[in-house]
Amino acid sequence: MSIIEIRNLNKLYRTRVKEEGLKASFQALVRPVYTEVQAVKDISFTVERGEICAFIGPNGAGKSTTIKMLTGILHPTSGEISVLGFNPAKQRQKLSYHIGTVFGQKSQLWFHLPPTDSFTLLGAIYDLDKSTLKKRVDELTECFELGDLLKIPVRKLSLGQRIRCEVAASLLHSPEILFLDEPTIGLDVVVKQRIRELILRMNHEDGTTIFLTSHDTGDVEQVCKRAIVINQGQIILDQPIKKLKYDYLNKKIITVRFNLEQHLDAPIGVRVEKTGNLGACLSVDTRLISIDEAMRWLIAQGGVADITVQDPPMEEIISTIYTTKAVVV
Amino acid sequence: MTQLKNVFKLIGLYFKVNLASALEYRSSFLMQVFGMALSNGTFVFFWWIAFAQIGGRIGGYDFNDVMFIWALTSTAFGAAHILFANMNRLTRLIISGELDTFLLQPKDILVSLLCSKTSLSAWGDFLYGFILIALTQGNSVMVWLMFLLGVVTGGLLITAICVTAHTFTFYLGDASLIGNMALEFVINFCIYPEGIYRGFIRVLMLSVIPTSFIVHIPLKLARSFNPLLLVVLLTVSFFYCFLAYKFFYRGLKRYESGNLLITRL
Repeated sequence: MSIIEIRNLNKLYRTRVKEEGLKASFQALVRPVYTEVQAVKDISFTVERGEICAFIGPNGAGKSTTIKMLTGILHPTSGEISVLGFNPAKQRQKLSYHIGTVFGQKSQLWFHLPPTDSFTLLGAIYDLDKSTLKKRVDELTECFELGDLLKIPVRKLSLGQRIRCEVAASLLHSPEILFLDEPTIGLDVVVKQRIRELILRMNHEDGTTIFLTSHDTGDVEQVCKRAIVINQGQIILDQPIKKLKYDYLNKKIITVRFNLEQHLDAPIGVRVEKTGNLGACLSVDTRLISIDEAMRWLIAQGGVADITVQDPPMEEIISTIYTTKAVVV
Repeated sequence: MTQLKNVFKLIGLYFKVNLASALEYRSSFLMQVFGMALSNGTFVFFWWIAFAQIGGRIGGYDFNDVMFIWALTSTAFGAAHILFANMNRLTRLIISGELDTFLLQPKDILVSLLCSKTSLSAWGDFLYGFILIALTQGNSVMVWLMFLLGVVTGGLLITAICVTAHTFTFYLGDASLIGNMALEFVINFCIYPEGIYRGFIRVLMLSVIPTSFIVHIPLKLARSFNPLLLVVLLTVSFFYCFLAYKFFYRGLKRYESGNLLITRL
């Protein structure tokens, strides 16, 4: 069942343009020149209940504009949006009871107060009675391991602790869909991993639908089942992550460790990317040589102590998609 | 009626959170409150000397009348800024895309937006008016009633004027200058006797920027109660609030959001 439906969505911004310099500033004052920027161009897609969907693209691709239209912050120029059966532009208030949002760049917690005070206010804003709010805060405290953090002023929390509290705050009213815009921005690898685990847990335990935008390919690879790629306002790809990797996976990375020092004379299709005393990193172009053949060649070198075969990093796949302007779905 | 009750509930909630936030820095809070009260207090001496030199009445007002409008301006301004301090930051909030947070919540955007910040020094303004009334106006129940009514209507009018001025940001791109000018205009025209203004300025004070309704008409009511004037005052106050509210929501359709890093202080 589709929980988000977008049909032929467009967003056009009217922007004033000005040449460089003071003279141009005066000219613009008298005779302003406007240009139209199409941030989102005729996009259509659906998201099913319980799905974890990544909405990715380079800077200025139209990701945030789309999320803002989905949540009712911005009004579309044309096209249709239905989120949980609501039209966000016209039924924003009703919709807000059913959706949660985390904008990595915008905080909904009071900076000088402990998160518990913000939770109380947000509970009242979402019309939760005291006992429901307490129960929910207890659940989220356990799930997000907030414990002692609840009573520390937000200004004294680390970024990772704050983001955990931000995500918990956005879940107080048990939303059916959670929109996450760059939730791991600025976090270190350990905290990023923690946030990803929590997102997955929410999805598994509560069935929350997750719609995530991120520049971090780790978020996409480890959390999402499907990716919609947007570039220059248009959807250029919409695929399950597995298929995405498969389609763009003409390459495998083999990391090998030897017992003895080896000189590798690689066959066609295998490239030695890096060598060390007792190890090497190889890339295999599967269009030229099968993994089976590549492995047999490697074993034949003798003295293999360990082999790891990996897909190329997601970053590389996404970068390829951006640059090759793949098929419009 | 339920909607109005919800609005009051929301204002109360934000008030509690804002006050708790302000009290995190007790010394700063107390310094700002007493500093502002002290700063306002110096003007009493200015007027006392002015009346002592000139004698009699200035612009139709005696010393006590001037103290009444000063007290009312101060407390109404203070009340408005304690409850709705974001009124002066509306332009910045609109330009930097800070309305997003409020647009994602199920409560009234304008009320949430205005209430989500308080001004510490406004407590000084708020308390100063009460002290001044107690010291200069005696125990007249009617004076106190009209003062309290004036605080409510005046506070709402000041807020409505600021909201209207800053809402032009949706159309002009930046209306901070208009907003600042409107607030300056309000304060300057509220703290002097009505009689010194003539012609066009007087018309402005009764129409576009209704400063007469903030202080001068409550003073008239305090000195000589007139039910009809009371109805006019209430009608004008709520009408201006209604206009500001509608104007803001009309402008909101042009909101374009933004991507600045934002923290709620």
